[in-house]
Amino acid sequence: MTTSVNRFVLDPTNERRASTMERVGRPTSLKGLTVGLLDISKARGDVFIDRLEERLSEMGADVKRYKKPTFTKPAPVDLRHEISVNCQVVIEALAD
Amino acid sequence: MHDIVDLERRGIPGVFVASSEFISAADAQSRSLGFPDVARVFTPHPIQDRTDDEMRAYADAALEEIVAAITRG
Amino acid sequence: MNRPTLPDGLVIVVKRECATCVMVVPVIEELINGPLPITVYVQDDPTFPESLARSHDADLSVSWHYDIETVPTVIRVKDGVEVDRTVGWVRDEWLKITGLSSLGVELPDFRPGCGSLSVDPDLVDELRVRFGVSALAARRVEVADAEDEFEAMFDRGWTDGLPVVPPTEQRVMRMLTGTTRQPTDVVAIVPPDLVEITVEKVAINAVMAGCKPEYLPWVIAALEAVCNDTFNIHGVLATTMPVGPVIVCNGPGTRAIGMNSGMNVFGQGNRANLTIGRAVQLIIRNVGGGRPGEVDRATHGNPGKLSFCFAEDELGTPWTTLSESRGISRTADAVTVFPGEGPRCVVDQLARDPESLTNTFAACLRTLHNPKSVLAFDAIVVMGPEHARVYADAGWDRDRVLSEIHARLQIPGSELIRGANGIAEGVPTHLSGMTLPKFRPGGLLLVHAGGGAGLFSAIIGGWANGDIGSQPVTREVRA
Repeated sequence: MTTSVNRFVLDPTNERRASTMERVGRPTSLKGLTVGLLDISKARGDVFIDRLEERLSEMGADVKRYKKPTFTKPAPVDLRHEISVNCQVVIEALAD
Repeated sequence: MHDIVDLERRGIPGVFVASSEFISAADAQSRSLGFPDVARVFTPHPIQDRTDDEMRAYADAALEEIVAAITRG
Repeated sequence: MNRPTLPDGLVIVVKRECATCVMVVPVIEELINGPLPITVYVQDDPTFPESLARSHDADLSVSWHYDIETVPTVIRVKDGVEVDRTVGWVRDEWLKITGLSSLGVELPDFRPGCGSLSVDPDLVDELRVRFGVSALAARRVEVADAEDEFEAMFDRGWTDGLPVVPPTEQRVMRMLTGTTRQPTDVVAIVPPDLVEITVEKVAINAVMAGCKPEYLPWVIAALEAVCNDTFNIHGVLATTMPVGPVIVCNGPGTRAIGMNSGMNVFGQGNRANLTIGRAVQLIIRNVGGGRPGEVDRATHGNPGKLSFCFAEDELGTPWTTLSESRGISRTADAVTVFPGEGPRCVVDQLARDPESLTNTFAACLRTLHNPKSVLAFDAIVVMGPEHARVYADAGWDRDRVLSEIHARLQIPGSELIRGANGIAEGVPTHLSGMTLPKFRPGGLLLVHAGGGAGLFSAIIGGWANGDIGSQPVTREVRA
């Protein structure tokens, strides 16, 4: 229980950041980068993602696959952290 | 979309892919999350009844736009 | 979390660690055969007491919600409502609450109980967060289980380049015990983004800076002092010059919270000095939105922009204190903020008379920013005790020291005009016939601080003064 209380901190900022958020800088190409493919777990998405993986690999990207437990909720924070540590860019698919 | 917003906040460029049914919902949600420019790419709708070949064709058609959304080519 | 309901009958809260609780186990065994249902809650070891059915108050919910301060506590509950309680072992009290005529005949009449785990100082902050209705309004930010919490503070852009203490709710609640003000009170409007800051946000950043709760009123006062048009923290932040807020602390409170006014007064090693100034700067960054390379355009900056805060040596000074000279009672606590660069040393190890020493101060002060610059900048002279003694022995008071320095810094315009002495920098040539003072009236501040050994003092140069720049501001510190 100590742990869960301590895993939340209070935002020290003016909390306006969300209103001005912009895309982070992009790499010039995906060649040699690790691309995270995050499957949101909706039916048929896997076929789409398999094909993206093939094509991205052909382009020289190193593809890592991730799957979130349910499309109805944001990915667990540990999964998001893992992706942020292991990948340089991320593609999330496929919502319908 | 929450996931991409969070990952961008962590410094990871991201894009999410959805069917065209999501265009207006994505606009509304991106604004409410304070990230109106969050990268997104849309495939045709519907998805659920498509064959594997049709799904692969969707992926091929979307690929260029997806790559463009996460690079500055 | 909701308050648990107590069953009717007798509720007894114990812990194994408590010798009195162990002693009364046979008494509780006697009670099992009595008329009232018995419910035993154990705080620590769920197997205690082995001989009795019990419930483990693992999260201390029962203990917290029923204000158990001592174990054992016996509560008599009727129709879901507490009607009586006793703590420790007092035979007469136990007889009264149980309605029995004999109990624990082997035992002494009286034995005090032990402290309840729910009031353990190591746990109480966490329990307040766990069970209290939070009064705090700040957004909660989750740190992933796999994430290092200190790295997470860097990742979110919340630090000044050094690690910060993660501002958990319990740490912030503890910090707020340092002030009588409400968490929702607005302290200031923080530039450059002009955001209202509440006591709660001050406390969050004070936690991050490493402050103790008793420093919080000083952080609040310093913040009030910098966030106004007079001090103009926006300009101090945005300038390309290497200045930041220098915080000079006065009053008995400086000694109560252990600030350094002596040896190594500007240096490392004192928590209050280093964290009060740091908290102010973290607030400018995190709440005001003032970050280096963005609004902060400093060409070089200075290491004091992490924290430049110190106390005056009031017990040793031969003079009135800085805050007294600025209208605050000597018995009150106060901060004076000044837009300052890093300190420089004034060396004079031979002067035995005040005139000679004053000549040294004037000569050193003359070079501030540029020997040909006049009137534009203020300065603080931080007089070391060994230099101050020269003046004290001669009977010079604060005003005399300052006026003698000023008198030696009346400079002929011919030395200051552009091109004079082969230096392009200077005042317009039409001022050649005038005499110009290095400092404007009131532009020199005098503070007594530093270690007892060393014939040295320090000068802290300022930034553009007056209406276009920044004026020093003094503010009383209130609990």
